[in-house]
Amino acid sequence: MSDILIVGNGLAAQRLVERMRHHGYAGTLTVLGSELETSCRQSASPFSTVTPHASDTLGLSSLPTIHIHVASTVTSIDPEHRRVLAQVSGAEAAYSYDTLVLTPETRPLIPDIPGLVSAEGHLTEGVVAPGTAATLPRITGNAVVVLGEGPLAVETASALAARRGETTLVCATPQPLSTHLGETCSGMLSEQLEQAGVTVIAGKPAVRRLPGSLCLEDGTTLPADTLILCTGAAPDTRLAREAGLDVRNGIVVNDQLRTSDPRIHAIGDCAEHDGQVMAGLSATWEQAETLAEILTGRAADYRPRPASLRLRTAVADVSAIGSLADLHQPGTRLISLTDRANRRYARLALRDERVVAAVLLGLPQAIATIGLLHRRMERLPSDRLGLLLELPPRPASDNAAADEKTPICLCNNVSKQTLLHAWQAGSLTVTALAEATRATTGCGGCSQSVEELCGLWTRETRYEWEKAS
Amino acid sequence: MGEGIVTRTLLVIGHGMVGHRLVDQLRALDTDHAWRIVIAAEEHYPAYDRVGLSSYLDGKSKSDLTLAGAGFLTDPRMDLLLGCPVVSVDRTARTAQTAHGDRISYDALVLATGSRPFVPPVPGHDLTGCFVYRTFDDLDALRAAARPGRPGVVVGGGLLGLEAANALRLLGMRPHVVETAPHLMPTQLDSGAAHVLDRHVTELGLRVHCGTATASIDAGANGEVRAVTLSDGTVLEADLVVFSAGIRPRDELADAMGLERGERGGIAVDDLCRTADERVWAIGECAAVNGRCYGLVAPGYRMAESVAHQLTGQKPEPFTSTDTSTTLKLLGVKIAAFGALRPDHGHAVEVVFAEGTDRYAKILLSEDSGDLLGGILAGDTGSWTAIRSLVGHRPPADLEQLLLP
Repeated sequence: MSDILIVGNGLAAQRLVERMRHHGYAGTLTVLGSELETSCRQSASPFSTVTPHASDTLGLSSLPTIHIHVASTVTSIDPEHRRVLAQVSGAEAAYSYDTLVLTPETRPLIPDIPGLVSAEGHLTEGVVAPGTAATLPRITGNAVVVLGEGPLAVETASALAARRGETTLVCATPQPLSTHLGETCSGMLSEQLEQAGVTVIAGKPAVRRLPGSLCLEDGTTLPADTLILCTGAAPDTRLAREAGLDVRNGIVVNDQLRTSDPRIHAIGDCAEHDGQVMAGLSATWEQAETLAEILTGRAADYRPRPASLRLRTAVADVSAIGSLADLHQPGTRLISLTDRANRRYARLALRDERVVAAVLLGLPQAIATIGLLHRRMERLPSDRLGLLLELPPRPASDNAAADEKTPICLCNNVSKQTLLHAWQAGSLTVTALAEATRATTGCGGCSQSVEELCGLWTRETRYEWEKAS
Repeated sequence: MGEGIVTRTLLVIGHGMVGHRLVDQLRALDTDHAWRIVIAAEEHYPAYDRVGLSSYLDGKSKSDLTLAGAGFLTDPRMDLLLGCPVVSVDRTARTAQTAHGDRISYDALVLATGSRPFVPPVPGHDLTGCFVYRTFDDLDALRAAARPGRPGVVVGGGLLGLEAANALRLLGMRPHVVETAPHLMPTQLDSGAAHVLDRHVTELGLRVHCGTATASIDAGANGEVRAVTLSDGTVLEADLVVFSAGIRPRDELADAMGLERGERGGIAVDDLCRTADERVWAIGECAAVNGRCYGLVAPGYRMAESVAHQLTGQKPEPFTSTDTSTTLKLLGVKIAAFGALRPDHGHAVEVVFAEGTDRYAKILLSEDSGDLLGGILAGDTGSWTAIRSLVGHRPPADLEQLLLP
């Protein structure tokens, strides 16, 4: 068995190790992680609602072949000599490998707003950048402002709403999550956040951080004892770049999750597959699983699923599958539901009865069912209205019986029954039926229906005759 | 004529679709021949199918479209005076005076004068080359003025405007449609359904300009229509202009007769179409039933039937329905709007099933009961009658399949 070296000790690395163990890997695994990552994963966040069933991945050191060096800082990768250089407890150390897996995480993007960063390059007093939902921000004071429009910003604001004190969500986009959910749905989400006690200030960029407050473009100054930056994250690709690996937005990998160096793999939020950096937990999970299979000698290819977003906060239950653009893909069937009073919303794009893209709000059962069917690439049931509204099973229509008395000709109020009686009385053509009942003599909108009925009855009669003779 | 029955005279002013329906119905119900009927018609043709008027430019003749069959025209109980508008009525003397100076006595009077096209007062609206679209004469004038290959502008993107645009197309012209609202047919359709319609009519060669008003009609050197300027600054070259910007009730006789008018025009009547004068009724588009005018033929027909029942001493059905369901095929696109589309109380649950711009179905469900309230269909959707029959019930499990088979 060859030696496998994993750089990084975040969720991707933990999952990979766990899956390697599951698939029976018996060689040596060495994990080089920083102190920060270790402490992150051990802190119980009050709002890590999407935190995985992580408990079983924490006891890594229980396997004798796994070495974990948590206090190490990797300084460079040397592909030529297949080794990694690191600072461990202040001393330089070199680790050689047969196979190297890079799992660098993202680092929070700090927006270019005056007053956020000190001259020394640190975040100023009261400013925090949690980076992931799993990080507990240091909250001080009464007034908290969450800055950002993405899932992390909404999750953070939702979690803070329950506490005593003012919570304000500020974003530059028309609504929080509007680029994920579209205008109507993100509008409803905002209403729900407001109802939960979060003040939402949307469409107004922040321009300056002052001690204890935040200034917006329109001149408003908000009290902000703590300012939480949820303004995005960027892949940390410095080491890979310096090692000469192919790096674009992320570290470029193929279907085998292999970088441009055949002995080096990359997974997690920094890996770029097929032009896409697949951020998010579910993508990381899938990549870890696929790579574990590959590294334990199984035939596997990484096939990314469409990006999906699942936000399950105390305030709102939101799901998005695919992108907003996917909702308008040609050749798809659109199904949408808008229930403003109860803040329920759905928009689905289906092809061959399967979900291509979806945005769902306030429909927990539909979110669960549709998410599951989408992951399995299975067809939705034919009663989509029932699925969305959680209607009990109910009968299909029985046209033949139901519409006997419904007017066919609206202008003259002529029912199917009246037409049939006229037909039975000898009006056997459309013209004769029109004469006898006045149907079709108003706007003419029912001409086609009357023709169809006339044709149907004629065929039925012919059939009767043939049966009789 | 039955013994002991005194013949009375019914005067009907107007011979449109609704006036005709009244007379037709009365002839059927009046088995005792108690009524002599005089119809004073402004136009020179007996009643014709105005809803199907556009087919007059698509190969049909005046006689194809007429509603007056041979039995009607030769009925000895009836006098049809064509080209004979009534200019005043003396309610005390119970006589009407025609434009020719003749006096017609009546025992009962029904006003069925219909509507006139509304021409917005934009500069240039009365230039040579401006038309309306309502009568055979209007269409004859349009046909005479049409120049194949040349552009024409229709002001108004409602039902009639699109009919007029199609008429220009059939006459070989290149039609533009200008609609102030953000989408076509704003009265009947939502933006999704209008989108289906828009794509389809654009494919047929119509150029649609929505969300902009007509600022002026501009004359060329010869003093005739040359161009149309829109409020967004666009200038459309145009050899002719057709106004289809709505209709207004022909209620001018109300003033002359001292009868009340509805708040937004129309001759004020109750739900039995009665004016304040017990001998005078108003039906169809000229009538404001409890204050509201109806611009569709179906409600007009119900008014006509109600009055025919009253005139023959039968129990009439009061006119209460505000059902403005429409189903039609417009330039090859099926369109339907049915049931309640603007629920009175609060919100409704809105559900849309659609495929690109090919077909679109929106339904509204009651928030409390989940019952189907109404809907809008456009394009290649399922059977209207089947769907309409579901109104007032919980939608069946195969609703989507019924809407978009």
